[in-house]
This record gives sequence, structure tokens and C-alpha cells, in this order.
Amino acid sequence: MSMTRRVMALLVLAFTARAVASAQSAEPATRDLDPLGRLTDASRYQIELILDSARVAGLPTAPLESKALEGISKRVDSRRIVVAVRMVFRSLRDARSVLGEHASPDELNAAASALRVGLTRAELAHLAQTRREKAITVPLVVLSDLITRGVPRDTASQTILQLWQRGAADDDFLGLWRGVERDIVSGTDPGVALLNRAREVPSRVPSTPEAGSRPEGTETRNP
Amino acid sequence: MTDDLNSLDPYVQWIVAEARRPVYMDASGEARQRLLEALRAEPQPKRERFAWLLEPRVALRPLVATAMAAGLVGIGLIGGLLIHRDGRQVDEPSAHVASSQLPGSIAPRAVKFVLIAPKAARVSVVGDFNGWDSSATPMTTQGGGADGTWTVFVPMQPGLHTYSFVIDGTHFVTDPSAPQTPDDGYGHRSSVVLVGGSSS
Amino acid sequence: MSDAADVQRVLNGDVDAFARLVDRYYERCARFAVRMLGNRDDAEDALQATFLRAYRSLGKYQERDKFSAWLYRILVNQCRSIAARRNHRDRVFVREEALLLNAPDRRPTWTGEDEEFVQRVLAELDPLLREAFVLKYVEEMSYEEMSTLTGVGVSALKMRVKRACDRLRSRWERIKDD
Repeated sequence: MSMTRRVMALLVLAFTARAVASAQSAEPATRDLDPLGRLTDASRYQIELILDSARVAGLPTAPLESKALEGISKRVDSRRIVVAVRMVFRSLRDARSVLGEHASPDELNAAASALRVGLTRAELAHLAQTRREKAITVPLVVLSDLITRGVPRDTASQTILQLWQRGAADDDFLGLWRGVERDIVSGTDPGVALLNRAREVPSRVPSTPEAGSRPEGTETRNP
Repeated sequence: MTDDLNSLDPYVQWIVAEARRPVYMDASGEARQRLLEALRAEPQPKRERFAWLLEPRVALRPLVATAMAAGLVGIGLIGGLLIHRDGRQVDEPSAHVASSQLPGSIAPRAVKFVLIAPKAARVSVVGDFNGWDSSATPMTTQGGGADGTWTVFVPMQPGLHTYSFVIDGTHFVTDPSAPQTPDDGYGHRSSVVLVGGSSS
Repeated sequence: MSDAADVQRVLNGDVDAFARLVDRYYERCARFAVRMLGNRDDAEDALQATFLRAYRSLGKYQERDKFSAWLYRILVNQCRSIAARRNHRDRVFVREEALLLNAPDRRPTWTGEDEEFVQRVLAELDPLLREAFVLKYVEEMSYEEMSTLTGVGVSALKMRVKRACDRLRSRWERIKDD
């Protein structure tokens, strides 16, 4: 395979040499035609193995490739790149095992990210099992951000889950996030900010009963 | 070009003129039809399996240029998770760049990235959409950069994207007005944008 | 819509976008193929092979390249292969003298069989000279583009074009003077 890549690289080089020379880019570094070439052979091999595992497992490889390219762009040591890629792979695999076969790549990515920032599999499962017809991408993105900004993990996951169970829509989560972000920037304690802003989110009619409780009467769907 | 031609022998000029005439393959267009049928029998072409390894990160300028030419530059961002640093919200989910001409759900949307960095000499945006190549998507300042506002429009596929800004080629900063990812594994955080509203 | 945009569309699943690309380039490519190969059958083979190959390797197309240049590289190579496969010998066209004699004057002004005449004249050129001549004057490419397409250096290409013109002119001199 690497032979083919080299040939392809040369072909690409022939076509793009002139284009690259006249590119308007102000960056001094030349654009790599083989960015992975910056990795050590051993690291490159390991990443290829991870990619193959991902393919076999039916996981998206784009986030893994992207993570590798990110590390290369940031001039990170090859071994550390392998570690990072492996971490993404594991979190994707875990996300898949919780969310199941039908999760979209976006949901998987958002879930993997949330797992990496400390959400437990049980908490993720809780979210996923409530309101199954609705994608959990946005709540997970907001959740990951809040934890990253300093909201205690338990507080964040419980609050988001509650809002989710109460039928909050994507826009509600976005509005919540904006409010909390502004509050944190102006000095409010992150956990406090979240709890305050969460109260402002309108409670909609839940489409499914709370997890663990018995179904009562007719279920109503979100408007 | 025409100078070249005029310097040619008149006989050669005549050859050229005749040779430039269009060639009619067949009146019925059968040849073209046969070709199209053969194409339909082909498996659909995909981006190269390892293209991400080899291809110089595409600058995405052709599509942006098209959008700009269509006068659609003003329609900033779609998707609601990106707001300008001064607090202005830019979330008009119904704003689609040229989507009437493009197939529906896979149409790229033009996403406007904004960063205020008065002291920067150059700024670019990097992310999963351009292989984190800091030379692929440079940003520009208006009016000579007096207020330090850097912007760029990037056509992006709907969905979740991770990105960062790069200042002066080396300094990675998150978007102050977007949700963050946790540590990227390299000691930085990145920013997240969801293009096209909520995913299915 | 730009070529690059159409290519992206095809890669994203809009196969009909490739039909648009074909339409945009078919006639121009056909002209080149006919000029190079001298007959429509071979030209059609070349066109078929070219567009199929382009379709198959669309994933390799780099957006920063001109699509026409990328396509023409394939076309040039296909024409070369087909020409090489044929046992192509220059034919002596006995009729051309008759054509010349029928002309009202020595300057070529007759119509009708011009294309056939031009084809024969071009066919008499060495294939590499013909290729350079057609790319330069019929396709109106710059030497830079031609160099990228053919992999040959600019000065070598200039030499080929000049030689092609010289041969054409001297051939005319010979015919003219009987």
C-alpha cells in the first residue's frame, strides 16, 4: 500500500507543484503531500492498525484521521499522537456499545467526547434511553463544554439529563449554554451558573416517562 | 496567443483554422448516450481511501468564491452555535447559501468564522474539515485590520465539526464564542460547531 | 457552476453532475481526439476511455488543479495508447493532388473536403509533433499547461511545435510546386 501511496503522491506532486508555488498562503511551511510522513514509521503503523480496527468495528474513521492530522499540525510527538488516536478510538467504541448500531456519526462523536471528559457509561445510557427518537448530539456537546469549563461533572450530567427528560429541545440547550457561558465569563461559579440558568429552561410535556417509573396513561409527544 | 498565430505561415494558419472547427461525432448523440450508459454501470466514485493522507488540504476557495459571486456573502452562519464575540447572535437557521441550486441535505453551508485578534499578523481556521492544515483556510481582516476582526467563510457539510484558530502559524486558540471540547490530547482545547441545525 | 463544484457533487453522490461535466467537455475533447487519431471510431474509443477513467479516478482530482487540464492529461494518454495499439502507417493520399488541381488558385480556399484534407495533413506529422501542434494551436493551451499535461519540458514542446509548423509548411511547398 505504501508503494501506491508514494506513486499517488508523485502524481499529485506533478499536478500541484505549480499550484502550490503560486498559492496565496502566507504560511512559510510547504504543504505536505504526505502529512503522515511526519510520523515515525512505528507510529504510523500503529495508527493504521487503529484505523483498521475501527473499520472492522464499523466505527467512523474520520474522527481518528482527524485526530492524527490535528496532532501533526500541532507538531506533537508521534507517540503522543498514537495515544490520542487510541483514546478517541476507545471512546468511540464505548459510545457505540452504549448508543447502539443506529447512532449517527455526530452522536457517536459527541458521546465519545463526553465520555472522555468524564461522563459515565451509565449516565450516557440514561440519556440515550430517554426520548429515543431524538438525537442527543446537542445535549452532549453542551454537556462536554460545561464540564470543560468547570461545572462539576455530577451537577452537569444530572442537570442535562433532567432537562432532557423534561423534553428540552436543541434550542433550549443552546440558549442554556449561552447563558451559562456569559455567566462564567462574568465571574459566576460554573456550577451555580448552570443551576440558575437551568431553571429558566421551560419544561415541556415529557414524551416518555422518567426512567424507572411506570408509564402513566397516555404518552404525549413533544410539540 | 493571436500574435503567435499571425507569425505563422499562412498555410499553417489555414490548417489551424480548419483544425479548430468543431467536430461533429454523430447527429443523434449516440456516442454520448453510450458513454452515459457506460458511466451508469460504474460504481460510484469515492474520495480516495487514503486521500486524506496525500491531498494538499483543499482551500475550499472555489465554493466560497461561488457563494460570494452569487452575492450571498452576507448570510453568515447557520446552525446557531456560533455567536460573535461581542455577543451578537448569528443564528438564522433558515439561511442557506445557494441551497436552491444544490441538492438538499448534503449541500454544504457557508459558515462564517470570526475572531478578534488585533495583534495577529495572520490568522487561519483549522479543523476536521481541512485536515487541521493551518495554511488551508486563511482568514482576512477588513479595512486593513484596524479593529483586528478576522473573518472567513467556509463551506462545510452539515454535522458536528471540531475546529480551532491558529494565530501567526503557531498559536492555537479556541473560539471564545463556541462550545469547547475537552483536552484534545495535545494540551489544547478545541471548539465545536454544529452546522445545519440538529442532526437527525 | 464551476467544474470543481461539479466534481464535489459527483463525489457526494450526485452522479448526474458528471453528465454535466461530460457535456461541457465532450465536443472539445472530441475535436482533439479526431485531430489526433484521424477518424471518428478511434476518437470515440478514446473519449469513452477518457471519461470512464476520469469518472473512476475522480476521487484523485485535486480541487486546486484546473479540471480541464486534469481531464486532458487523461485524454492525451488515451489517444496515445490507442494510436500505439493501431498499426498506424501514413497513407499516401493520392486524391489530394487532384484536390489541389481543382482549386481555383494556389491559396487553399476550397470547402467541403477541407476537414479530410486537414486530417491527412496532420496525420502525416509524427505523433508527438502532431500532439504538440494540436495542443498549442487547436486547443490553445499555454506551454506551461502543455508541459504539465504531457510531462515534457517547455523548451522541448516549443521545439516540437516549431518542427510541426516547418513540416507542414515544407509539405505545402512541395505540393505547391508539384
